[in-house]
Amino acid sequence: MQSVILKGHKDGYVINLKSNARFIDILRELTELFEQLQQDEKMNSEPLSFNITTGSRLLNADEKKKIEKIVSRFPLFSIHKITSEVMLVQDALEMIESKSIHLDANTIRNGQVEYIQGDVLYVGDLHQGGMLRATGNVFLLGKCEGIVHAGYLSNSEAIIVGDVHAAQQVRIADAVAIVAQEKIAKSKETVVFVNDLHVLDYTKHTEIKTIRPKLFARMGGY
Amino acid sequence: MGKAIVVTSGKGGVGKTTTTANLGTALALSGSKVCLLDLDIGLRNLDVILGLDNRIIYDIVDVAKGRAKLQQALIKDKRFEDKLFLLPAAQNADKSVLNPEEVKKIVTELKPDFDYVLIDCPAGIEQGFINAVAGADQAIVVSTPEISAVRDADRVIGLLEKESLSEPPQLIINRIRTHMINDGQAMDIDEITRHLSIKLLGIVFDDDQVITTSNKGEPIVLNERNPASQGYRNIARRMQGETVPLMSIASIEKKSIFSRLKSWFDKK
Repeated sequence: MQSVILKGHKDGYVINLKSNARFIDILRELTELFEQLQQDEKMNSEPLSFNITTGSRLLNADEKKKIEKIVSRFPLFSIHKITSEVMLVQDALEMIESKSIHLDANTIRNGQVEYIQGDVLYVGDLHQGGMLRATGNVFLLGKCEGIVHAGYLSNSEAIIVGDVHAAQQVRIADAVAIVAQEKIAKSKETVVFVNDLHVLDYTKHTEIKTIRPKLFARMGGY
Repeated sequence: MGKAIVVTSGKGGVGKTTTTANLGTALALSGSKVCLLDLDIGLRNLDVILGLDNRIIYDIVDVAKGRAKLQQALIKDKRFEDKLFLLPAAQNADKSVLNPEEVKKIVTELKPDFDYVLIDCPAGIEQGFINAVAGADQAIVVSTPEISAVRDADRVIGLLEKESLSEPPQLIINRIRTHMINDGQAMDIDEITRHLSIKLLGIVFDDDQVITTSNKGEPIVLNERNPASQGYRNIARRMQGETVPLMSIASIEKKSIFSRLKSWFDKK
Protein backbone atom coordinates (compact mmCIF):
# COMPACT_ATOMS: atom_id res chain seq x y z
CA MET A 1 0.00 0.00 0.00
CA GLN A 2 1.20 3.43 -0.84
CA SER A 3 1.40 5.70 2.20
CA VAL A 4 2.52 8.93 0.49
CA ILE A 5 0.46 10.29 -2.40
CA LEU A 6 1.27 13.33 -4.49
CA LYS A 7 -1.61 15.20 -6.04
CA GLY A 8 -1.79 18.27 -8.21
CA HIS A 9 -4.36 20.89 -7.35
CA LYS A 10 -5.26 24.18 -8.96
CA ASP A 11 -3.45 25.96 -6.14
CA GLY A 12 -0.37 23.78 -6.09
CA TYR A 13 0.90 20.36 -5.12
CA VAL A 14 -0.45 18.48 -2.14
CA ILE A 15 1.26 15.53 -0.53
CA ASN A 16 -1.13 13.34 1.40
CA LEU A 17 0.39 11.24 4.20
CA LYS A 18 -1.90 8.28 4.88
CA SER A 19 -2.99 8.43 8.47
CA ASN A 20 -3.07 4.64 8.93
CA ALA A 21 0.46 4.11 7.63
CA ARG A 22 3.51 3.70 9.85
CA PHE A 23 5.48 6.90 10.22
CA ILE A 24 8.69 5.09 9.34
CA ASP A 25 7.16 4.04 5.99
CA ILE A 26 5.99 7.57 5.38
CA LEU A 27 9.47 8.97 5.89
CA ARG A 28 10.94 6.37 3.57
CA GLU A 29 8.35 6.90 0.83
CA LEU A 30 8.62 10.65 1.16
CA THR A 31 12.37 10.47 0.57
CA GLU A 32 11.80 8.24 -2.45
CA LEU A 33 9.17 10.60 -3.81
CA PHE A 34 11.43 13.63 -3.56
CA GLU A 35 14.33 11.74 -5.14
CA GLN A 36 12.11 10.76 -8.10
CA LEU A 37 10.85 14.30 -8.47
CA GLN A 38 14.35 15.67 -8.46
CA GLN A 39 15.36 13.33 -11.26
CA ASP A 40 12.40 14.47 -13.29
CA GLU A 41 13.77 17.16 -15.56
CA LYS A 42 10.64 19.21 -15.73
CA MET A 43 10.47 19.46 -11.99
CA ASN A 44 14.13 20.22 -11.70
CA SER A 45 13.97 23.66 -13.29
CA GLU A 46 12.27 25.89 -10.71
CA PRO A 47 11.64 25.92 -6.95
CA LEU A 48 8.52 24.08 -5.74
CA SER A 49 6.46 24.38 -2.59
CA PHE A 50 4.23 21.61 -1.24
CA ASN A 51 1.28 21.50 1.09
CA ILE A 52 1.27 18.43 3.29
CA THR A 53 -1.98 16.99 4.66
CA THR A 54 -1.93 14.33 7.34
CA GLY A 55 -5.60 13.31 7.39
CA SER A 56 -6.70 12.20 10.83
CA ARG A 57 -3.14 12.03 12.12
CA LEU A 58 -1.66 14.79 14.23
CA LEU A 59 2.10 15.24 13.81
CA ASN A 60 4.05 16.20 16.88
CA ALA A 61 6.93 18.66 16.80
CA ASP A 62 9.47 15.88 16.56
CA GLU A 63 7.77 14.27 13.56
CA LYS A 64 7.42 17.61 11.82
CA LYS A 65 11.12 18.18 12.31
CA LYS A 66 11.93 14.84 10.69
CA ILE A 67 9.87 15.71 7.62
CA GLU A 68 11.45 19.13 7.37
CA LYS A 69 14.86 17.51 7.60
CA ILE A 70 14.10 15.31 4.59
CA VAL A 71 12.83 18.24 2.54
CA SER A 72 15.87 20.36 3.44
CA ARG A 73 18.04 17.87 1.55
CA PHE A 74 16.37 18.99 -1.67
CA PRO A 75 17.22 22.68 -2.23
CA LEU A 76 14.48 23.27 -4.80
CA PHE A 77 11.67 21.88 -2.65
CA SER A 78 10.02 23.41 0.39
CA ILE A 79 6.96 22.86 2.59
CA HIS A 80 4.33 25.58 2.51
CA LYS A 81 2.27 24.25 5.38
CA ILE A 82 1.32 21.06 7.15
CA THR A 83 -2.42 20.64 7.82
CA SER A 84 -4.53 18.04 9.49
CA GLU A 85 -8.22 17.29 9.73
CA VAL A 86 -8.02 16.78 13.50
CA MET A 87 -6.94 18.88 16.48
CA LEU A 88 -6.26 18.33 20.18
CA VAL A 89 -9.28 18.53 22.46
CA GLN A 90 -7.40 21.04 24.56
CA ASP A 91 -6.73 23.28 21.56
CA ALA A 92 -10.33 22.93 20.46
CA LEU A 93 -11.63 23.97 23.88
CA GLU A 94 -9.29 26.94 23.94
CA MET A 95 -10.54 27.94 20.52
CA ILE A 96 -14.16 27.71 21.61
CA GLU A 97 -13.33 29.68 24.76
CA SER A 98 -11.67 32.47 22.88
CA LYS A 99 -14.18 32.63 20.03
CA SER A 100 -17.49 32.48 21.86
CA ILE A 101 -19.33 35.19 23.76
CA HIS A 102 -19.56 34.34 27.43
CA LEU A 103 -22.64 35.35 29.37
CA ASP A 104 -21.57 36.62 32.77
CA ALA A 105 -23.95 37.68 35.54
CA ASN A 106 -21.57 37.73 38.51
CA THR A 107 -21.45 40.77 40.73
CA ILE A 108 -17.91 42.13 40.66
CA ARG A 109 -17.22 43.86 43.94
CA ASN A 110 -14.54 46.26 45.11
CA GLY A 111 -11.15 44.56 44.78
CA GLN A 112 -12.33 41.68 42.62
CA VAL A 113 -11.10 40.98 39.10
CA GLU A 114 -13.27 38.93 36.75
CA TYR A 115 -11.12 37.48 33.97
CA ILE A 116 -12.70 36.14 30.82
CA GLN A 117 -11.01 34.36 27.94
CA GLY A 118 -12.76 35.63 24.84
CA ASP A 119 -15.72 37.97 24.47
CA VAL A 120 -18.14 38.69 27.27
CA LEU A 121 -21.75 39.78 27.47
CA TYR A 122 -21.83 41.18 30.98
CA VAL A 123 -25.22 41.42 32.64
CA GLY A 124 -24.08 41.67 36.27
CA ASP A 125 -23.17 44.61 38.47
CA LEU A 126 -19.66 45.99 38.26
CA HIS A 127 -19.01 47.94 41.46
CA GLN A 128 -16.51 50.71 42.05
CA GLY A 129 -13.06 49.21 42.53
CA GLY A 130 -13.97 46.02 40.67
CA MET A 131 -12.52 45.06 37.31
CA LEU A 132 -13.99 43.21 34.35
CA ARG A 133 -11.19 41.97 32.15
CA ALA A 134 -11.62 40.08 28.90
CA THR A 135 -9.17 39.04 26.21
CA GLY A 136 -11.81 39.91 23.62
CA ASN A 137 -14.68 42.37 23.31
CA VAL A 138 -16.87 43.51 26.19
CA PHE A 139 -20.60 44.04 25.75
CA LEU A 140 -22.22 45.65 28.78
CA LEU A 141 -25.84 45.39 29.78
CA GLY A 142 -25.51 45.66 33.55
CA LYS A 143 -24.55 48.48 35.84
CA CYS A 144 -20.96 49.53 35.32
CA GLU A 145 -19.16 51.60 37.94
CA GLY A 146 -15.74 49.98 38.01
CA ILE A 147 -12.97 49.37 35.50
CA VAL A 148 -13.68 47.70 32.17
CA HIS A 149 -10.73 46.22 30.33
CA ALA A 150 -11.21 44.72 26.87
CA GLY A 151 -8.54 43.16 24.66
CA TYR A 152 -6.35 42.21 27.60
CA LEU A 153 -3.25 41.88 27.08
CA SER A 154 -2.56 43.34 23.67
CA ASN A 155 -5.60 43.02 21.42
CA SER A 156 -6.23 46.63 20.46
CA GLU A 157 -8.84 45.49 17.92
CA ALA A 158 -11.20 44.77 20.82
CA ILE A 159 -14.09 47.11 21.57
CA ILE A 160 -16.31 47.92 24.54
CA VAL A 161 -20.02 48.40 23.85
CA GLY A 162 -22.51 49.68 26.41
CA ASP A 163 -23.12 52.37 28.97
CA VAL A 164 -19.73 53.25 30.45
CA HIS A 165 -20.50 56.80 31.54
CA ALA A 166 -20.42 55.81 35.23
CA ALA A 167 -17.32 53.62 34.99
CA GLN A 168 -14.05 54.61 36.64
CA GLN A 169 -11.83 53.66 33.73
CA VAL A 170 -12.09 52.03 30.34
CA ARG A 171 -9.10 50.16 29.00
CA ILE A 172 -8.44 48.43 25.71
CA ALA A 173 -5.16 46.54 25.40
CA ASP A 174 -2.63 49.04 26.76
CA ALA A 175 -4.72 52.18 26.27
CA VAL A 176 -6.40 53.65 29.34
CA ALA A 177 -8.96 56.42 29.74
CA ILE A 178 -10.25 57.90 32.97
CA VAL A 179 -13.94 58.20 32.28
CA ALA A 180 -14.57 61.23 34.50
CA GLN A 181 -12.23 63.25 32.28
CA GLU A 182 -13.80 62.07 29.04
CA LYS A 183 -17.36 63.37 29.41
CA ILE A 184 -18.94 60.24 27.97
CA ALA A 185 -22.69 60.58 27.49
CA LYS A 186 -25.08 58.31 29.38
CA SER A 187 -26.01 55.99 26.55
CA LYS A 188 -26.29 52.26 26.03
CA GLU A 189 -25.07 52.81 22.49
CA THR A 190 -21.57 53.96 23.36
CA VAL A 191 -18.73 52.12 21.67
CA VAL A 192 -15.16 52.49 22.89
CA PHE A 193 -12.37 51.52 20.52
CA VAL A 194 -8.73 52.19 19.75
CA ASN A 195 -8.45 54.47 16.72
CA ASP A 196 -5.73 54.66 14.06
CA LEU A 197 -3.64 56.95 16.27
CA HIS A 198 -3.74 54.25 18.99
CA VAL A 199 -5.86 56.43 21.21
CA LEU A 200 -9.14 55.44 22.86
CA ASP A 201 -12.03 56.90 20.94
CA TYR A 202 -15.82 56.88 21.33
CA THR A 203 -18.57 56.42 18.83
CA LYS A 204 -22.08 54.96 18.50
CA HIS A 205 -23.06 51.35 17.97
CA THR A 206 -24.15 52.07 14.41
CA GLU A 207 -20.48 52.66 13.56
CA ILE A 208 -19.23 49.26 14.73
CA LYS A 209 -19.55 47.82 11.24
CA THR A 210 -17.39 50.59 9.83
CA ILE A 211 -14.64 50.51 12.44
CA ARG A 212 -14.48 46.74 13.02
CA PRO A 213 -15.86 44.90 9.96
CA LYS A 214 -13.97 41.75 10.93
CA LEU A 215 -16.04 41.43 14.09
CA PHE A 216 -19.08 40.41 12.08
CA ALA A 217 -17.27 38.08 9.73
CA ARG A 218 -16.21 36.11 12.76
CA MET A 219 -19.39 36.09 14.76
CA GLY A 220 -21.21 33.69 12.44
CA GLY A 221 -18.92 30.82 13.42
CA TYR A 222 -15.64 29.51 12.16
CA MET B 1 -26.96 23.51 67.77
CA GLY B 2 -26.34 27.25 67.64
CA LYS B 3 -25.40 29.53 64.80
CA ALA B 4 -22.00 31.21 64.55
CA ILE B 5 -22.28 34.70 63.11
CA VAL B 6 -19.32 36.93 62.35
CA VAL B 7 -19.78 40.70 62.62
CA THR B 8 -17.45 42.41 60.20
CA SER B 9 -17.07 45.58 58.15
CA GLY B 10 -13.65 46.02 56.61
CA LYS B 11 -13.42 49.62 57.70
CA GLY B 12 -12.70 50.45 61.31
CA GLY B 13 -14.87 52.63 63.52
CA VAL B 14 -18.23 51.79 61.99
CA GLY B 15 -19.42 50.06 65.15
CA LYS B 16 -18.61 46.36 64.85
CA THR B 17 -17.86 45.92 68.53
CA THR B 18 -20.81 48.05 69.64
CA THR B 19 -23.07 46.07 67.32
CA THR B 20 -21.74 42.75 68.60
CA ALA B 21 -22.21 43.80 72.24
CA ASN B 22 -25.70 45.18 71.70
CA LEU B 23 -26.98 42.40 69.47
CA GLY B 24 -25.65 39.85 71.95
CA THR B 25 -27.34 41.64 74.81
CA ALA B 26 -30.60 42.04 72.90
CA LEU B 27 -30.63 38.36 71.97
CA ALA B 28 -29.90 37.40 75.57
CA LEU B 29 -32.68 39.70 76.83
CA SER B 30 -35.19 37.95 74.62
CA GLY B 31 -34.23 34.54 75.93
CA SER B 32 -31.51 33.22 73.61
CA LYS B 33 -28.28 31.88 75.00
CA VAL B 34 -25.43 33.88 73.51
CA CYS B 35 -21.66 33.70 73.52
CA LEU B 36 -19.63 36.67 72.29
CA LEU B 37 -16.22 35.95 70.86
CA ASP B 38 -13.74 38.81 70.67
CA LEU B 39 -11.19 38.20 67.93
CA ASP B 40 -9.71 41.69 67.91
CA ILE B 41 -6.57 40.36 69.50
CA GLY B 42 -4.22 43.04 70.76
CA LEU B 43 -6.93 45.73 70.69
CA ARG B 44 -9.75 44.13 72.61
CA ASN B 45 -12.75 46.32 73.39
CA LEU B 46 -15.76 44.06 73.64
CA ASP B 47 -15.09 43.31 77.29
CA VAL B 48 -14.88 47.03 78.09
CA ILE B 49 -18.18 47.87 76.40
CA LEU B 50 -19.87 45.07 78.32
CA GLY B 51 -18.20 46.19 81.55
CA LEU B 52 -16.51 42.83 82.00
CA ASP B 53 -12.88 43.92 81.54
CA ASN B 54 -11.84 43.52 85.16
CA ARG B 55 -12.99 39.91 85.27
CA ILE B 56 -10.73 38.50 82.56
CA ILE B 57 -8.47 35.72 83.75
CA TYR B 58 -7.94 33.63 80.64
CA ASP B 59 -8.48 34.63 77.02
CA ILE B 60 -9.02 33.03 73.64
CA VAL B 61 -5.30 32.61 72.98
CA ASP B 62 -4.94 30.70 76.25
CA VAL B 63 -7.75 28.40 75.11
CA ALA B 64 -6.34 27.96 71.61
CA LYS B 65 -2.87 27.13 72.90
CA GLY B 66 -4.19 24.74 75.53
CA ARG B 67 -3.19 26.84 78.55
CA ALA B 68 -6.80 27.00 79.75
CA LYS B 69 -10.05 25.12 79.23
CA LEU B 70 -12.84 26.82 77.31
CA GLN B 71 -15.12 26.80 80.36
CA GLN B 72 -12.45 28.53 82.46
CA ALA B 73 -12.04 31.35 79.98
CA LEU B 74 -15.73 32.09 79.43
CA ILE B 75 -16.94 35.11 81.40
CA LYS B 76 -20.56 35.09 82.46
CA ASP B 77 -22.42 38.39 82.38
CA LYS B 78 -24.30 38.27 85.70
CA ARG B 79 -26.92 40.78 84.56
CA PHE B 80 -28.48 38.20 82.27
CA GLU B 81 -28.44 35.07 84.40
CA ASP B 82 -27.08 32.27 82.28
CA LYS B 83 -27.77 33.87 78.94
CA LEU B 84 -24.73 35.95 77.97
CA PHE B 85 -21.09 34.86 77.93
CA LEU B 86 -17.90 36.41 76.63
CA LEU B 87 -14.72 34.78 75.42
CA PRO B 88 -12.30 37.72 75.54
CA ALA B 89 -9.42 38.42 73.17
CA ALA B 90 -5.82 38.49 74.33
CA GLN B 91 -4.29 41.87 74.84
CA ASN B 92 -0.59 40.98 74.88
CA ALA B 93 -0.44 39.22 71.52
CA ASP B 94 -1.31 40.05 67.92
CA LYS B 95 -3.69 38.68 65.32
CA SER B 96 -1.19 36.26 63.85
CA VAL B 97 -0.91 34.07 66.97
CA LEU B 98 -4.15 32.34 66.04
CA ASN B 99 -4.84 30.36 62.90
CA PRO B 100 -8.22 29.65 61.28
CA GLU B 101 -8.25 26.00 62.45
CA GLU B 102 -7.85 27.00 66.10
CA VAL B 103 -10.72 29.50 65.87
CA LYS B 104 -12.87 26.98 64.04
CA LYS B 105 -12.24 24.41 66.77
CA ILE B 106 -13.28 26.83 69.52
CA VAL B 107 -16.41 27.90 67.67
CA THR B 108 -17.39 24.30 66.99
CA GLU B 109 -16.93 23.56 70.68
CA LEU B 110 -19.15 26.51 71.65
CA LYS B 111 -21.99 25.98 69.18
CA PRO B 112 -23.77 23.05 70.89
CA ASP B 113 -24.08 25.01 74.15
CA PHE B 114 -25.39 28.29 72.73
CA ASP B 115 -28.12 29.57 70.43
CA TYR B 116 -25.85 32.24 68.97
CA VAL B 117 -22.09 32.62 68.85
CA LEU B 118 -21.32 36.19 67.77
CA ILE B 119 -17.79 36.73 66.54
CA ASP B 120 -16.42 40.26 66.73
CA CYS B 121 -14.08 40.66 63.78
CA PRO B 122 -11.16 43.11 63.79
CA ALA B 123 -10.99 45.84 61.14
CA GLY B 124 -9.11 44.99 57.98
CA ILE B 125 -9.05 41.93 55.73
CA GLU B 126 -5.85 40.29 56.92
CA GLN B 127 -5.18 37.39 59.28
CA GLY B 128 -7.63 38.62 61.91
CA PHE B 129 -10.45 38.72 59.37
CA ILE B 130 -9.55 35.30 57.98
CA ASN B 131 -9.55 33.84 61.51
CA ALA B 132 -12.88 35.42 62.38
CA VAL B 133 -14.60 34.18 59.24
CA ALA B 134 -13.19 30.66 59.52
CA GLY B 135 -15.60 29.46 62.14
CA ALA B 136 -18.71 31.35 61.03
CA ASP B 137 -21.88 30.00 59.42
CA GLN B 138 -23.19 33.43 58.59
CA ALA B 139 -21.91 36.99 58.37
CA ILE B 140 -23.28 40.38 59.29
CA VAL B 141 -21.64 43.29 57.50
CA VAL B 142 -21.80 46.61 59.34
CA SER B 143 -21.54 49.82 57.37
CA THR B 144 -22.30 53.48 57.90
CA PRO B 145 -23.84 55.83 55.33
CA GLU B 146 -20.39 57.00 54.19
CA ILE B 147 -18.82 56.22 50.84
CA SER B 148 -15.62 54.88 52.41
CA ALA B 149 -17.47 52.47 54.69
CA VAL B 150 -19.72 51.32 51.86
CA ARG B 151 -16.75 50.77 49.55
CA ASP B 152 -15.00 48.67 52.21
CA ALA B 153 -18.22 46.77 52.92
CA ASP B 154 -18.43 45.96 49.21
CA ARG B 155 -14.88 44.58 49.30
CA VAL B 156 -15.62 42.52 52.40
CA ILE B 157 -18.86 41.13 50.93
CA GLY B 158 -16.85 40.04 47.91
CA LEU B 159 -14.43 38.19 50.19
CA LEU B 160 -17.26 36.67 52.23
CA GLU B 161 -18.99 35.38 49.11
CA LYS B 162 -15.80 33.48 48.29
CA GLU B 163 -15.87 31.80 51.71
CA SER B 164 -18.04 28.75 52.15
CA LEU B 165 -20.57 30.31 54.52
CA SER B 166 -23.89 28.51 54.64
CA GLU B 167 -25.89 31.73 54.22
CA PRO B 168 -25.25 34.92 52.24
CA PRO B 169 -24.04 37.93 54.25
CA GLN B 170 -26.57 40.42 55.63
CA LEU B 171 -26.23 44.14 56.13
CA ILE B 172 -26.63 46.48 59.08
CA ILE B 173 -26.43 50.18 58.39
CA ASN B 174 -25.20 51.81 61.55
CA ARG B 175 -24.85 55.37 62.84
CA ILE B 176 -27.54 56.83 60.65
CA ARG B 177 -27.95 60.55 61.23
CA THR B 178 -31.54 61.31 60.41
CA HIS B 179 -31.08 65.01 59.86
CA MET B 180 -28.29 64.45 57.33
CA ILE B 181 -30.35 61.96 55.36
CA ASN B 182 -33.32 64.30 55.41
CA ASP B 183 -31.10 67.12 54.16
CA GLY B 184 -29.85 64.83 51.41
CA GLN B 185 -26.25 65.13 52.62
CA ALA B 186 -25.73 61.50 53.61
CA MET B 187 -26.16 58.41 51.46
CA ASP B 188 -29.66 57.02 51.27
CA ILE B 189 -30.38 53.66 52.97
CA ASP B 190 -32.11 52.18 49.93
CA GLU B 191 -29.28 53.33 47.73
CA ILE B 192 -26.67 51.62 49.93
CA THR B 193 -28.67 48.39 50.13
CA ARG B 194 -29.25 48.34 46.40
CA HIS B 195 -25.61 49.04 45.71
CA LEU B 196 -24.32 46.30 47.98
CA SER B 197 -27.09 43.96 46.78
CA ILE B 198 -27.38 41.94 49.98
CA LYS B 199 -30.28 41.62 52.38
CA LEU B 200 -30.72 44.50 54.83
CA LEU B 201 -30.96 43.07 58.33
CA GLY B 202 -31.62 46.39 59.99
CA ILE B 203 -30.69 49.98 60.57
CA VAL B 204 -29.44 51.72 63.70
CA PHE B 205 -29.72 55.44 64.28
CA ASP B 206 -26.80 57.41 65.62
CA ASP B 207 -27.29 58.50 69.19
CA ASP B 208 -25.02 60.16 71.73
CA GLN B 209 -26.33 57.79 74.37
CA VAL B 210 -24.56 54.88 72.66
CA ILE B 211 -21.20 56.36 73.59
CA THR B 212 -22.33 57.41 77.07
CA THR B 213 -23.61 53.97 77.95
CA SER B 214 -20.62 52.20 76.41
CA ASN B 215 -18.38 54.29 78.61
CA LYS B 216 -20.22 52.95 81.62
CA GLY B 217 -19.97 49.38 80.43
CA GLU B 218 -23.69 49.08 79.82
CA PRO B 219 -24.85 48.28 76.28
CA ILE B 220 -27.41 50.77 74.94
CA VAL B 221 -30.06 48.05 74.43
CA LEU B 222 -30.66 48.05 78.17
CA ASN B 223 -32.30 51.44 77.68
CA GLU B 224 -35.57 50.43 76.05
CA ARG B 225 -36.70 53.81 74.77
CA ASN B 226 -33.57 54.89 73.00
CA PRO B 227 -33.89 54.81 69.16
CA ALA B 228 -30.50 53.10 68.71
CA SER B 229 -31.55 50.52 71.26
CA GLN B 230 -34.79 49.90 69.36
CA GLY B 231 -32.78 49.40 66.18
CA TYR B 232 -30.65 46.70 67.82
CA ARG B 233 -33.67 45.06 69.44
CA ASN B 234 -35.45 44.92 66.10
CA ILE B 235 -32.41 43.31 64.49
CA ALA B 236 -32.24 40.73 67.27
CA ARG B 237 -35.92 39.92 66.76
CA ARG B 238 -35.39 39.51 63.01
CA MET B 239 -32.48 37.18 63.72
CA GLN B 240 -34.83 35.11 65.89
CA GLY B 241 -37.21 34.78 62.97
CA GLU B 242 -39.76 37.50 63.66
CA THR B 243 -40.95 39.88 60.98
CA VAL B 244 -40.30 43.40 62.18
CA PRO B 245 -40.81 46.40 59.91
CA LEU B 246 -37.85 48.67 59.31
CA MET B 247 -37.78 51.75 61.56
CA SER B 248 -38.64 54.78 59.52
CA ILE B 249 -36.60 57.93 59.60
CA ALA B 250 -39.80 59.96 59.76
CA SER B 251 -40.91 58.35 63.03
CA ILE B 252 -37.62 59.20 64.69
CA GLU B 253 -37.70 62.70 63.35
CA LYS B 254 -41.30 63.23 64.49
CA LYS B 255 -40.47 62.01 67.93
CA SER B 256 -37.53 64.33 68.20
CA ILE B 257 -39.55 67.30 67.01
CA PHE B 258 -42.17 66.40 69.55
CA SER B 259 -39.64 66.02 72.32
CA ARG B 260 -38.04 69.28 71.26
CA LEU B 261 -41.40 71.01 71.53
CA LYS B 262 -42.00 69.34 74.84
CA SER B 263 -38.71 70.51 76.23
CA TRP B 264 -39.46 73.97 74.91
CA PHE B 265 -42.75 73.99 76.80
CA ASP B 266 -41.08 72.53 79.86
CA LYS B 267 -38.66 75.41 79.89
CA LYS B 268 -41.46 77.93 79.94
